[in-house]
Amino acid sequence: MAKLRQIAIYGKGGIGKSTTTQNLTAGLSEIGKNILVVGCDPKADSTRLLLGGLHQKTVLDTIRDSIQGAVTLENLIKLGFNGIRCVESGGPEPGVGCAGRGIITSIDMLESLGAYTEDLDYVFYDVLGDVVCGGFAMPIREGKAKEIYIVASGEMMALYAANNICKGIQKYASRGEVRLGGLICNSRNVDNENELLRAFATELNTRVISFVPRNNIVQHAELNRKTVIQYAPASPQADVYRDLARAIDGNTEFTIPTPIGADRLEELMLKYGMMDIADNYKI
Amino acid sequence: MSRLLDQPRYKCALSAMQTVHSITRAIPILHSGPGCATKLNDTSGTSGYFSPNIFPCTSVSEKEVVFGGNDKLRDTVANALKIIDADLFVILTGCTSELIGDDIAKVASEFKDAPKPVLFANTPGFKGNNYVGHDWILKAIFEQYLPTLPAQKKQKGLVNLFVGQPVQDPYWLGNLREIESLLRQIGLTPNTIFGHGRGVKNIDLLPAAEYNILVSPWVGLESARYLADTYGAPLLHYPVVPIGAFETTKFLRAVGVFTGADKKRTEAVIKENEDEYYYFIERFADTFLEMRIMSKRFVTVSDAEYSLAVTKFFVNDLGMFPMTQFITDDTPKQYRPLIEKEFSELNYGIKAEVEFITEGRAIHDKIRKTDFAGIPMIVGTSWEHDVANEIYAHHINISYPLIKLVMNSHLTGYSGGLKLIEDMYSIASAKLLL
Repeated sequence: MAKLRQIAIYGKGGIGKSTTTQNLTAGLSEIGKNILVVGCDPKADSTRLLLGGLHQKTVLDTIRDSIQGAVTLENLIKLGFNGIRCVESGGPEPGVGCAGRGIITSIDMLESLGAYTEDLDYVFYDVLGDVVCGGFAMPIREGKAKEIYIVASGEMMALYAANNICKGIQKYASRGEVRLGGLICNSRNVDNENELLRAFATELNTRVISFVPRNNIVQHAELNRKTVIQYAPASPQADVYRDLARAIDGNTEFTIPTPIGADRLEELMLKYGMMDIADNYKI
Repeated sequence: MSRLLDQPRYKCALSAMQTVHSITRAIPILHSGPGCATKLNDTSGTSGYFSPNIFPCTSVSEKEVVFGGNDKLRDTVANALKIIDADLFVILTGCTSELIGDDIAKVASEFKDAPKPVLFANTPGFKGNNYVGHDWILKAIFEQYLPTLPAQKKQKGLVNLFVGQPVQDPYWLGNLREIESLLRQIGLTPNTIFGHGRGVKNIDLLPAAEYNILVSPWVGLESARYLADTYGAPLLHYPVVPIGAFETTKFLRAVGVFTGADKKRTEAVIKENEDEYYYFIERFADTFLEMRIMSKRFVTVSDAEYSLAVTKFFVNDLGMFPMTQFITDDTPKQYRPLIEKEFSELNYGIKAEVEFITEGRAIHDKIRKTDFAGIPMIVGTSWEHDVANEIYAHHINISYPLIKLVMNSHLTGYSGGLKLIEDMYSIASAKLLL
């Protein structure tokens, strides 16, 4: 059996982490990989496309209802597209409690219940947007996920968030095995986006592992509660996600990132984002 | 934040639950992890009404951390109201509930129609120590409870009195009663809220007072100012807790001038007390003269209250000389100049050096290097026991942590000075045993 690869997907809130994770795991499942997707977001909507609807029982629901003794993996893990195992950490209502601690509690519970079986090739952690506290760094902090991919676009705040996440990875990389596997560009059709992302990746001592073009078929698939690979398997967009899956499966380039200062980030934005382009606000 | 490596001389803000339970029939409801109340109380004396071991507590667990603890708190308060016969409940937060940001103000507000008042104060340990926690709790009580009372007329001669800090100051209750007694002697009616025979009925009287007096270098100042400003009763902030004749007389005169008390009566009270004080001194004058191993120089390692009070007493009444005095209560920076000024105004033109420092080992290293020109006198906590033995010093354990039992004895006033002299000479005499 191949060694289990545990991968965490980070990125700015709303950048498309869940969509990307589900589509790329769908792609991996097509090449015969056994996968567990752990949604680490209190909204518990990280596996909706794979399951064809929201997961009804989160790990933390079981703690909320004080039924730990009766908890079984069968209740928590639902099988989605192509046999992908899906679990949602869940969390408190917005504005109360500590969602970060919830992630820690939930991953601990999954481990103690034996969710990480030997037949798994991949575990993916789809983590809430900004790593606001230690809890959201749990997948990388305790050596669970050793590979990180950051979803970003050419927008300033997406790059800012990606840079911040790299600061976290750099800190944990210095005392553990966690490494950055690359950036996934989820395109927003920003000017010179590809060049900007590649220049940014170079500064961070990593690379853009895939450029996912913007395509409305993704939204259509989401409305139908499906990944693109399931909704329109013959579409070019489905092939983009299959390519991403293969790129990650074959990736051997793992680095310790070198985050940059805010000034340097703005310089990059100006250099690539504004270069030789007249103001054009058409979207 | 304070720098504290070892030898803590105070506890966390939640430990100011002492301030709540020192109001008889007031009960703290802790929104904290299990065990906080027991651990923080240790052996420093309880309310006498309800043990800290069974204070209502939400005993926050992982479930409350993840999902928020408001529901558990609501249940705990409701059940406390059902089963505990008390006059006042104050919800206090510990570190955990503050970190997750539980909205305790909202929970407290849901009990506004409860048969007994339910108040709240934020007291996370990471935010400060029990000296500041005391102030936060008093201010919370004043802010939240007093506005619910009907309007009152001022009562002639009624004075709200606050002295030191309950429980953290081992002599707090004896000191409070002694100052109360002195104020009564000069014709005032002191109103205090702590200890036996006081309680919510005295809190109810706070707005009716003509004056407020706070006897403390800085602890309790914010709440006292709030009380004074809100109810239009001037505040006398008297930073020196008076020990012995010189300071007590000075204090009574200051109070007399501030409150407009009858000057003749005040002076008569002073004379009577001083005469008795010096009678006792004279009875043992030979002992004092012959005790060749009594110290000439001293150091205090204590909070601002006792460092200042003892220094004033030792210099002004006993003619001893101060070495550098160590203040260990993490005094907020804005209060330090006032305290330093007091240390520079000693009799005979003497000024004492002061160092605000919380790190025990560093203090002891400095004491070891000090030349006391004879047997040193160290007045402080039990932590000074070992260094005192090492340099053959006389050691008086006056502040927390304590290795003796203090029930109702006091150090304030004329008789308090005599008590401290008793302690000094008892400890010195013990060295004469063969």
